Amino acid sequence: MSSSVVGGLVGARIKRREDVRILTGAGRYIDDVHERNTLTCHFVRSTLPHARISGCDVAAAREMEGVVAVITGDEMAQFTNPINLGAPIPGLNSPSFTALATGTVRYVGEPVALVVASDRYVAEDAASLIEIDYDPLEPVVSTTQALADGAPQLFDEVPGNVIHSGEIAVGDIDAAFAEADHVVTDRLDQHRWTCAPMEGRGGVATYDRSTGVLTYEASTQTSHLMRLLVAGFINQPIHLMRVVTSDIGGSFGLKFSMYREDVALCAAAKHLGVSLKWVEDRNENLTAGGSARDETLTIDAAVKADGTLLGFRVNMVMNHGAYPVMPPAPVVTGIAGHMLPGPYRVPAYRFTSTAACTNKASYISLRGPWAVETLVRERMMDLIAKRVGISPVEVRQRNLIPVTEQPTMSGAGFTLDGVTAAETFARLTEMIDLDEIRAQQEKARAEGRLVGFGVGTFYEPAPGTPEFWGLIGFPFSAEPVRLRVEPDGHITAFTTQIPHGQGHETTLAQVIADEMGVAFDDVRIVFGDTDATVFTMIGTGGSKAGMMATGGAMVAAREVRARVLDIAAHMLEASPSDLQIENSVISVKGAPGSAVPLADLAMGCYMAPGMMPQGVDLNLETTAHYDGENGGWGQGSHACWVEIDQETGKIAVTRYLVVEDCGKIINPAVVDGQVIGGIAMGLGGMLLEHAAYGEDGQYLAGTFMDYLMPSAPEVPEIEIEHLEYQAPTMVGSRGVGEGGTVLAPAALLNAVDDAFGQVEAGRITATPLTPTKVLQALGVIED
Amino acid sequence: MSDREITVTVNGTVHTALVEPRRTLADFLRHTLGLTATHLGCEHGVCGACTVLLDGEAVRSCLALAVHADGHEVTTVEGIAEPGQMHPVQTALWESGAFQCGFCTPGFVMTIYGMERDARAGRGCPRSRTEIREELSGNICRCSGYQAIVDGAEAALTAATGSASGSETRR
Repeated sequence: MSSSVVGGLVGARIKRREDVRILTGAGRYIDDVHERNTLTCHFVRSTLPHARISGCDVAAAREMEGVVAVITGDEMAQFTNPINLGAPIPGLNSPSFTALATGTVRYVGEPVALVVASDRYVAEDAASLIEIDYDPLEPVVSTTQALADGAPQLFDEVPGNVIHSGEIAVGDIDAAFAEADHVVTDRLDQHRWTCAPMEGRGGVATYDRSTGVLTYEASTQTSHLMRLLVAGFINQPIHLMRVVTSDIGGSFGLKFSMYREDVALCAAAKHLGVSLKWVEDRNENLTAGGSARDETLTIDAAVKADGTLLGFRVNMVMNHGAYPVMPPAPVVTGIAGHMLPGPYRVPAYRFTSTAACTNKASYISLRGPWAVETLVRERMMDLIAKRVGISPVEVRQRNLIPVTEQPTMSGAGFTLDGVTAAETFARLTEMIDLDEIRAQQEKARAEGRLVGFGVGTFYEPAPGTPEFWGLIGFPFSAEPVRLRVEPDGHITAFTTQIPHGQGHETTLAQVIADEMGVAFDDVRIVFGDTDATVFTMIGTGGSKAGMMATGGAMVAAREVRARVLDIAAHMLEASPSDLQIENSVISVKGAPGSAVPLADLAMGCYMAPGMMPQGVDLNLETTAHYDGENGGWGQGSHACWVEIDQETGKIAVTRYLVVEDCGKIINPAVVDGQVIGGIAMGLGGMLLEHAAYGEDGQYLAGTFMDYLMPSAPEVPEIEIEHLEYQAPTMVGSRGVGEGGTVLAPAALLNAVDDAFGQVEAGRITATPLTPTKVLQALGVIED
Repeated sequence: MSDREITVTVNGTVHTALVEPRRTLADFLRHTLGLTATHLGCEHGVCGACTVLLDGEAVRSCLALAVHADGHEVTTVEGIAEPGQMHPVQTALWESGAFQCGFCTPGFVMTIYGMERDARAGRGCPRSRTEIREELSGNICRCSGYQAIVDGAEAALTAATGSASGSETRR
């Protein structure tokens, strides 16, 4: 049998099994895939933000040695259907578009032609020979431009360039403001930044002419949705379409959607009857892969004299870019709107939102796509504290809803239950000494240094509840897991998760091994292949796996375990309730001599069912669905210390403290990795990263020398304290992947505001916090 | 331009090949030799995912040309341990739970491997966590937030320094 750990796996810091291949370079990322005679694809992309295509000369490229095909937009449109990724949602003006641009281009980087060649060098040489004539149109870059009277219309189907507008209204907002002692207002223009996983998008599409099967090995978070959508757009019968994933070099939301490049690649592979590879390079990824955030919020808070919240009035305008991808805009604005009141008592609330269409790359999901709500709310809490003359700690303590007062209604009108943001904040405040922090700040100022301190708290749908997702208009799906005991007693489980760093091959094996009484190494987790896994719309995303995939693994394992025990009960002449499985042996509790190895039982079930006990279920494979037990929430509180260099404008994060609660921890190393990585991303997004566009609509950050990623010296050591609140559910674990990125910007900006406040500096309301803006706020340089 | 014949020793094996002068060392390793452990994250020398050792020095194989390696020795992640085994640097990073998606990993492993070799040879290496972070600043990881990578690097370098004689701290 295996030499690996048996029992007590859940909660233990088990080394990840993925790491063996990752560390030795044996992973299979998309550019490592090489089918027989694979050809390489290169997309020719628009160089203008908004233009009519008046000519496309591909003759010279087609004649180049090594070029197999050049496909223009009009040609591609003959064997693909128009793409629409949002049509069924009411009130969503979701335009249709073609796989490659036809007629009009609407952002810099839009694919206009596809070159297929023997290798990438040849493909890019050929692309340079393609001449596209453009008649420039007026670009629409900002949401102000997009929503102005008489603005150029990007699509006929999108009147006024409004993709979607929404509203949430709970309680009597006018009364709240009428009775307020203070009305505090704020505004935030969050810049565009992006996922930038170390591996960009890509895929290998292989059409088997003998069977008609199209296999698409892709770098995606959602294999079943990819299969469903691509098959429809290229007229491929879905039963002849297979999507496979292997190792994925990060995603952070980028690879949630299907993209038009996926459609073009698969369509071309089918059309040419070959195997085609496309791997985007960094310039393509940054320019054309889409980016996130890019939204403007205004917020008014009605507050009592003691800092008690009476209501929030909020407006959000999202810069949606040109083409809708998944998830559709109203899902992002809807989550933001419903989460914005946060874990606080907010008696009245009004939220309006507009998603405006512009000549930028698509607005994509990025780790906590709704995160702006936490940033805006938590900055507002600090403004309220300042207005009423209490500390940032006290203003939160006065408004947070403790878990003992739940279930109750959230400010946005759905049930809050088991939300422990208040408890994480209470623990955080125990770990800091605000008086000491203020004394240190004073001492630092005396030395000519400027030191700021900020806090923040939040909760997140990880996975959320069916009621919550009902309000968003997005399904809360049960999570299937297919699981079988193999003839040798080992276990294969098929998850619909598509891990791309989350370590599900390890954590789900921990859960199943404990449930089944087998060794960790005896459990294998299979993922990604639509021929093997069960359909779900979402693969990995939305911080679902911690609760939902764990639950799926548990219910499937328990169902098969019950069958095993029923069979063994007959074999051992005992009651199933008197049996145990330990180290792959089923035995009678207290009578270890009466035992049968799981391997013997399983071999019997497969190879000699007639010789096994009759009248019991001998099928050792099941597909079970976990319904989510009404879901749950993740939460946390952060404290951030910064030092601002008043000569250079550099912000250094000097200390960072986290109290998080994702319930029962399956693997502490995995949870800590998610928390720390999320915070690094949130800090990088605020301090360094900017998917910048010029006023002319040109994209300005096409390399990592322009789009600045946080490196090791910029990220602080992060201290983490865990609470493990246990809801009365079978599955005690909840998601943790997104929260770091959601809350870190708020804690950071509050710390910076705190520093600025000490020297009566201005306040930055348009991110990122570049040195230039810091020096402007400090009055060192002029605006 | 016509192809050039080059002879490169990669992980101890001598390879002779005809390559285009413009072919990068990374593409030569990945596509000509099929050694796909070396990853490309930016292809403009910022992210460090493609780091390999050229005659023992860490270089970015996306910025080097294959012809630059003619007559030289290249070491990639495939070559630092026997098949099925891990080098102590890899073991330390495994123990610390350093990585998540794994795409940047070969570059980090090679950077830390280079540092660890210096430490073993008594040439000195970064010792404090701040120094380690500075030394790793040429490698980008989007997943981990670096802390667990620093943990693993610190453990590997501490072990290597302990085993070296007359080691010194390099600043």
